[in-house]
Amino acid sequence: MKAEYINPFVGAAVNVFQMMLGVTPQRGQLSARKGIFTSQQCNIVLGVTGQLEGQIIIGMSVFTADKIASKMLGTTIRTFDELAASAIAELGNMISGAALTELASKGINCNLSPPSLIRGTNVRISTLEIPTLVVPLQTELGDVEINVGLMERAK
Amino acid sequence: MAKRIMITDDALFMRVTLKNILTQHGYEVVAEASNGREAVELYEQHKPDLVFMDITMPEMDGLQALKEIRARDPNAKVVMCTAMGQKQMVVEAIQAGAKDFIVKPFQPERIIEAVQKVA
Ligand SMILES: [Mg+2]
Repeated sequence: MKAEYINPFVGAAVNVFQMMLGVTPQRGQLSARKGIFTSQQCNIVLGVTGQLEGQIIIGMSVFTADKIASKMLGTTIRTFDELAASAIAELGNMISGAALTELASKGINCNLSPPSLIRGTNVRISTLEIPTLVVPLQTELGDVEINVGLMERAK
Repeated sequence: MAKRIMITDDALFMRVTLKNILTQHGYEVVAEASNGREAVELYEQHKPDLVFMDITMPEMDGLQALKEIRARDPNAKVVMCTAMGQKQMVVEAIQAGAKDFIVKPFQPERIIEAVQKVA
Protein backbone atom coordinates (compact mmCIF):
# COMPACT_ATOMS: atom_id res chain seq x y z
CA MET A 1 0.00 0.00 0.00
CA LYS A 2 1.26 3.45 -0.88
CA ALA A 3 2.03 5.89 1.95
CA GLU A 4 0.25 8.60 -0.06
CA TYR A 5 -3.02 6.84 0.79
CA ILE A 6 -2.58 7.10 4.57
CA ASN A 7 -1.33 10.70 4.72
CA PRO A 8 -4.76 12.24 3.94
CA PHE A 9 -6.24 10.23 6.86
CA VAL A 10 -3.57 11.45 9.27
CA GLY A 11 -3.96 15.06 8.09
CA ALA A 12 -7.75 14.84 8.36
CA ALA A 13 -7.50 13.32 11.85
CA VAL A 14 -5.31 16.23 13.00
CA ASN A 15 -7.82 18.78 11.61
CA VAL A 16 -10.89 17.03 13.01
CA PHE A 17 -9.26 16.61 16.44
CA GLN A 18 -8.39 20.31 16.50
CA MET A 19 -11.86 21.39 15.46
CA MET A 20 -14.01 18.90 17.41
CA LEU A 21 -11.83 18.31 20.47
CA GLY A 22 -9.52 21.31 20.70
CA VAL A 23 -6.38 19.14 20.85
CA THR A 24 -3.48 18.82 18.42
CA PRO A 25 -2.29 15.22 17.98
CA GLN A 26 1.40 14.36 17.59
CA ARG A 27 2.10 11.95 14.76
CA GLY A 28 4.04 8.79 15.68
CA GLN A 29 6.04 6.33 13.59
CA LEU A 30 4.49 4.71 10.52
CA SER A 31 4.40 0.91 10.54
CA ALA A 32 3.03 -1.82 8.28
CA ARG A 33 0.86 -4.88 8.91
CA LYS A 34 0.09 -7.79 6.61
CA GLY A 35 -3.60 -7.83 7.38
CA ILE A 36 -6.20 -5.54 8.82
CA PHE A 37 -6.66 -6.33 12.49
CA THR A 38 -6.58 -4.33 15.67
CA SER A 39 -5.44 -4.87 19.22
CA GLN A 40 -7.29 -1.78 20.46
CA GLN A 41 -10.33 -2.00 22.75
CA CYS A 42 -12.58 0.39 20.87
CA ASN A 43 -12.53 0.55 17.07
CA ILE A 44 -14.33 2.64 14.49
CA VAL A 45 -14.51 0.59 11.29
CA LEU A 46 -15.36 2.09 7.91
CA GLY A 47 -15.48 0.48 4.49
CA VAL A 48 -14.13 2.16 1.38
CA THR A 49 -15.27 1.34 -2.16
CA GLY A 50 -14.42 2.83 -5.54
CA GLN A 51 -11.01 3.32 -7.11
CA LEU A 52 -9.53 2.17 -3.80
CA GLU A 53 -11.13 -0.61 -1.79
CA GLY A 54 -10.60 -1.74 1.75
CA GLN A 55 -11.05 -0.62 5.32
CA ILE A 56 -10.17 2.09 7.75
CA ILE A 57 -9.93 1.32 11.46
CA ILE A 58 -9.48 4.02 14.04
CA GLY A 59 -8.63 2.31 17.32
CA MET A 60 -8.28 3.53 20.88
CA SER A 61 -8.61 2.37 24.49
CA VAL A 62 -11.99 2.42 26.24
CA PHE A 63 -10.54 5.10 28.53
CA THR A 64 -9.64 7.31 25.54
CA ALA A 65 -13.04 6.71 23.93
CA ASP A 66 -14.72 7.87 27.15
CA LYS A 67 -12.60 11.02 27.22
CA ILE A 68 -13.20 11.84 23.55
CA ALA A 69 -16.96 11.25 23.81
CA SER A 70 -17.11 13.39 26.96
CA LYS A 71 -15.36 16.23 25.14
CA MET A 72 -17.67 15.95 22.12
CA LEU A 73 -20.79 15.89 24.28
CA GLY A 74 -19.58 18.64 26.58
CA THR A 75 -20.28 16.55 29.65
CA THR A 76 -18.50 13.74 31.50
CA ILE A 77 -20.20 10.54 30.41
CA ARG A 78 -21.11 8.00 33.08
CA THR A 79 -22.05 5.13 30.81
CA PHE A 80 -20.85 4.55 27.27
CA ASP A 81 -24.34 4.66 25.76
CA GLU A 82 -25.69 5.03 22.19
CA LEU A 83 -25.04 8.78 22.23
CA ALA A 84 -21.38 8.32 23.24
CA ALA A 85 -20.90 5.50 20.71
CA SER A 86 -22.42 7.60 17.93
CA ALA A 87 -20.13 10.52 18.79
CA ILE A 88 -17.03 8.32 18.47
CA ALA A 89 -18.34 6.73 15.25
CA GLU A 90 -19.12 10.15 13.78
CA LEU A 91 -15.58 11.33 14.57
CA GLY A 92 -14.33 8.45 12.39
CA ASN A 93 -16.83 9.38 9.68
CA MET A 94 -15.62 12.99 9.66
CA ILE A 95 -11.95 11.96 9.48
CA SER A 96 -12.55 9.45 6.67
CA GLY A 97 -14.88 11.77 4.75
CA ALA A 98 -12.29 14.56 4.83
CA ALA A 99 -9.53 12.13 3.77
CA LEU A 100 -11.60 10.84 0.83
CA THR A 101 -12.32 14.45 -0.15
CA GLU A 102 -8.56 15.06 -0.22
CA LEU A 103 -7.96 11.89 -2.29
CA ALA A 104 -10.74 12.93 -4.71
CA SER A 105 -8.95 16.25 -5.30
CA LYS A 106 -6.02 14.12 -6.55
CA GLY A 107 -8.31 12.21 -8.90
CA ILE A 108 -8.86 9.14 -6.70
CA ASN A 109 -12.62 8.76 -6.21
CA CYS A 110 -13.99 6.57 -3.43
CA ASN A 111 -17.14 6.19 -1.40
CA LEU A 112 -17.54 5.49 2.30
CA SER A 113 -19.77 3.08 4.21
CA PRO A 114 -21.41 4.14 7.49
CA PRO A 115 -19.09 3.62 10.47
CA SER A 116 -19.54 0.83 12.95
CA LEU A 117 -18.07 0.73 16.41
CA ILE A 118 -16.50 -2.56 17.47
CA ARG A 119 -15.37 -3.16 21.02
CA GLY A 120 -13.06 -6.02 21.97
CA THR A 121 -9.35 -6.72 21.60
CA ASN A 122 -7.56 -8.56 18.80
CA VAL A 123 -10.45 -8.16 16.43
CA ARG A 124 -9.79 -9.36 12.92
CA ILE A 125 -11.98 -7.11 10.84
CA SER A 126 -11.62 -8.82 7.50
CA THR A 127 -10.38 -12.16 6.25
CA LEU A 128 -8.84 -10.34 3.30
CA GLU A 129 -5.09 -9.94 3.60
CA ILE A 130 -5.01 -6.25 2.81
CA PRO A 131 -1.59 -4.75 3.52
CA THR A 132 -2.24 -2.08 6.12
CA LEU A 133 -0.36 1.03 7.19
CA VAL A 134 -0.66 2.22 10.75
CA VAL A 135 0.04 5.67 12.20
CA PRO A 136 -0.32 6.27 15.95
CA LEU A 137 -1.41 9.71 17.14
CA GLN A 138 -0.64 10.92 20.64
CA THR A 139 -3.15 13.33 22.14
CA GLU A 140 -3.95 14.81 25.53
CA LEU A 141 -7.01 12.56 25.55
CA GLY A 142 -4.97 9.40 24.93
CA ASP A 143 -3.48 7.56 21.97
CA VAL A 144 -5.41 6.87 18.79
CA GLU A 145 -4.26 4.47 16.08
CA ILE A 146 -5.14 5.05 12.43
CA ASN A 147 -5.11 1.88 10.30
CA VAL A 148 -5.55 2.25 6.56
CA GLY A 149 -5.83 -0.88 4.41
CA LEU A 150 -6.63 0.14 0.85
CA MET A 151 -5.96 -1.63 -2.44
CA GLU A 152 -6.28 -0.29 -5.95
CA ARG A 153 -9.24 -1.97 -7.53
CA ALA A 154 -8.27 -4.59 -10.08
CA LYS A 155 -8.88 -3.21 -13.56
CA MET B 1 -44.06 31.37 12.50
CA ALA B 2 -41.06 29.28 13.53
CA LYS B 3 -39.55 27.32 10.69
CA ARG B 4 -40.31 23.59 10.89
CA ILE B 5 -37.16 21.58 10.26
CA MET B 6 -36.40 17.88 9.76
CA ILE B 7 -32.98 16.39 10.60
CA THR B 8 -31.60 13.30 8.86
CA ASP B 9 -28.40 11.64 10.10
CA ASP B 10 -27.54 8.08 11.10
CA ALA B 11 -25.46 9.34 14.06
CA LEU B 12 -27.54 10.13 17.16
CA PHE B 13 -24.73 12.51 18.15
CA MET B 14 -25.25 14.59 14.99
CA ARG B 15 -29.05 14.65 15.40
CA VAL B 16 -28.67 15.89 18.98
CA THR B 17 -26.04 18.48 17.96
CA LEU B 18 -28.15 19.85 15.09
CA LYS B 19 -31.30 19.87 17.19
CA ASN B 20 -29.57 21.86 19.95
CA ILE B 21 -28.25 24.45 17.49
CA LEU B 22 -31.63 24.85 15.79
CA THR B 23 -33.82 24.98 18.90
CA GLN B 24 -31.45 27.47 20.56
CA HIS B 25 -32.13 29.77 17.61
CA GLY B 26 -35.89 29.39 17.88
CA TYR B 27 -36.45 26.86 15.13
CA GLU B 28 -38.70 23.85 15.60
CA VAL B 29 -37.38 20.35 14.85
CA VAL B 30 -40.49 18.44 13.76
CA ALA B 31 -38.88 15.13 12.78
CA GLU B 32 -35.63 13.19 13.01
CA ALA B 33 -34.72 10.43 10.57
CA SER B 34 -31.78 8.04 10.96
CA ASN B 35 -31.54 6.95 7.32
CA GLY B 36 -32.70 8.01 3.87
CA ARG B 37 -35.74 5.73 3.75
CA GLU B 38 -37.04 7.11 7.04
CA ALA B 39 -36.41 10.63 5.75
CA VAL B 40 -38.60 10.04 2.68
CA GLU B 41 -41.45 8.69 4.88
CA LEU B 42 -41.18 11.39 7.54
CA TYR B 43 -41.02 14.14 4.91
CA GLU B 44 -44.41 13.01 3.56
CA GLN B 45 -45.90 13.00 7.06
CA HIS B 46 -44.53 16.32 8.31
CA LYS B 47 -43.91 18.42 5.19
CA PRO B 48 -41.13 20.41 6.91
CA ASP B 49 -39.95 23.81 5.63
CA LEU B 50 -36.37 22.55 5.47
CA VAL B 51 -34.46 19.27 5.66
CA PHE B 52 -30.88 18.73 6.82
CA MET B 53 -29.61 15.62 5.02
CA ASP B 54 -26.53 13.52 5.79
CA ILE B 55 -25.15 11.43 2.89
CA THR B 56 -23.34 8.40 4.37
CA MET B 57 -26.17 6.42 5.99
CA PRO B 58 -27.39 2.79 6.04
CA GLU B 59 -30.55 1.60 4.21
CA MET B 60 -30.69 4.54 1.80
CA ASP B 61 -28.03 7.24 1.43
CA GLY B 62 -28.75 10.96 1.50
CA LEU B 63 -28.33 11.54 -2.24
CA GLN B 64 -30.95 8.91 -3.03
CA ALA B 65 -33.29 10.31 -0.35
CA LEU B 66 -32.80 13.84 -1.75
CA LYS B 67 -33.83 12.61 -5.21
CA GLU B 68 -36.91 10.75 -3.89
CA ILE B 69 -38.07 13.67 -1.77
CA ARG B 70 -37.62 16.14 -4.65
CA ALA B 71 -39.42 13.78 -7.06
CA ARG B 72 -42.49 13.80 -4.77
CA ASP B 73 -42.24 17.48 -3.84
CA PRO B 74 -40.34 19.62 -6.37
CA ASN B 75 -40.45 22.52 -3.87
CA ALA B 76 -38.72 20.55 -1.11
CA LYS B 77 -35.85 22.46 0.47
CA VAL B 78 -32.96 20.16 1.33
CA VAL B 79 -29.54 21.14 2.68
CA MET B 80 -26.84 18.46 2.60
CA CYS B 81 -24.75 18.13 5.76
CA THR B 82 -22.04 15.53 5.33
CA ALA B 83 -18.42 14.57 5.90
CA MET B 84 -18.06 13.85 2.18
CA GLY B 85 -16.92 17.09 0.53
CA GLN B 86 -15.90 15.73 -2.89
CA LYS B 87 -16.66 18.09 -5.77
CA GLN B 88 -18.43 15.24 -7.57
CA MET B 89 -20.70 14.75 -4.53
CA VAL B 90 -21.47 18.49 -4.29
CA VAL B 91 -22.26 18.71 -8.01
CA GLU B 92 -24.54 15.65 -7.88
CA ALA B 93 -26.43 17.04 -4.86
CA ILE B 94 -26.88 20.52 -6.34
CA GLN B 95 -28.00 19.05 -9.67
CA ALA B 96 -30.54 16.94 -7.76
CA GLY B 97 -31.90 20.14 -6.19
CA ALA B 98 -30.05 20.53 -2.87
CA LYS B 99 -30.09 24.20 -1.80
CA ASP B 100 -26.81 24.19 0.13
CA PHE B 101 -23.97 21.82 1.00
CA ILE B 102 -22.35 21.88 4.46
CA VAL B 103 -19.21 19.85 5.12
CA LYS B 104 -18.66 18.34 8.58
CA PRO B 105 -17.18 19.32 10.94
CA PHE B 106 -19.02 22.65 10.83
CA GLN B 107 -19.40 25.72 13.03
CA PRO B 108 -22.94 26.20 14.45
CA GLU B 109 -23.21 29.55 12.61
CA ARG B 110 -22.93 27.71 9.29
CA ILE B 111 -26.14 25.79 10.10
CA ILE B 112 -28.05 28.96 11.00
CA GLU B 113 -26.75 30.72 7.89
CA ALA B 114 -28.16 27.90 5.74
CA VAL B 115 -31.58 28.10 7.43
CA GLN B 116 -31.74 31.88 6.97
CA LYS B 117 -30.68 31.63 3.34
CA VAL B 118 -32.85 28.71 2.31
CA ALA B 119 -36.03 28.45 4.42
MG1 LIG C 1 -23.64 9.51 8.44
